[in-house]
Amino acid sequence: MTSAHANDHIELTRGVIPNAAAREIRAAEDGAVATFDGCVRNHSHGRATLYLEYEAYESMALAKMQEIADELHARYAINRVAIVHRLGRLEIGETSVFIAVSSAHRAAALDACRYAIDALKKTVPIWKKEFFADGAVWADGELPPAPAETPAAKPASN
Amino acid sequence: MQRIAMLIKVLYFGRLKEVSGSSEESVELRDGARIEDLFSQCALSRPELRKFRPSLVAARNREFAAWNTPLHAGDEIGFLPPVSGG
Repeated sequence: MTSAHANDHIELTRGVIPNAAAREIRAAEDGAVATFDGCVRNHSHGRATLYLEYEAYESMALAKMQEIADELHARYAINRVAIVHRLGRLEIGETSVFIAVSSAHRAAALDACRYAIDALKKTVPIWKKEFFADGAVWADGELPPAPAETPAAKPASN
Repeated sequence: MQRIAMLIKVLYFGRLKEVSGSSEESVELRDGARIEDLFSQCALSRPELRKFRPSLVAARNREFAAWNTPLHAGDEIGFLPPVSGG
């Protein structure tokens, strides 16, 4: 997939997401960079969490993350977008998702950043398993909206 | 309508991968089959998959798709539980 915004950064990684990630998208025309740093909490529904594991439908997740970035450019007066999600085992306090949006003026970056994390949690195929002292569970998630069924879907053609 | 068979690549994720016992398989279906037919076929050998059907969304070639979407040979179909990234 090609993007009209060549400076955007969309990534899935099994490595640590660096603290400096927000600086990398900043350019001379920017007056603001809004960031969201999602990190691993030490508790879930009253139980002490030991660690998390994330997995993804990687090719689709990257496509959906890119769609979110494209949507941000269409909706907000922003310059650059970075969306990075980590996969594999994450310890308490580590960053699981990092989003940064740059813009000339702060409101667009702040609004776009909020929109991006909300959209990611609803539509990007990534799954989190929570490990506790006495077992593990897949986290409750959100079912992404699917296209409505049509009474007469088009027959297979090609 | 032709009744030739087509091969579909199926992917399972999250808890569904654990229930199905695999992350990926190839399934042969009659021409004209839809995503819901594919799921029924997959659940034949693993009846425990059926109870997850109401809480799944399907993806065809990395795009969310309705259950009555027609399949084409070589399609990649993912069965996705509720997503929990972030």
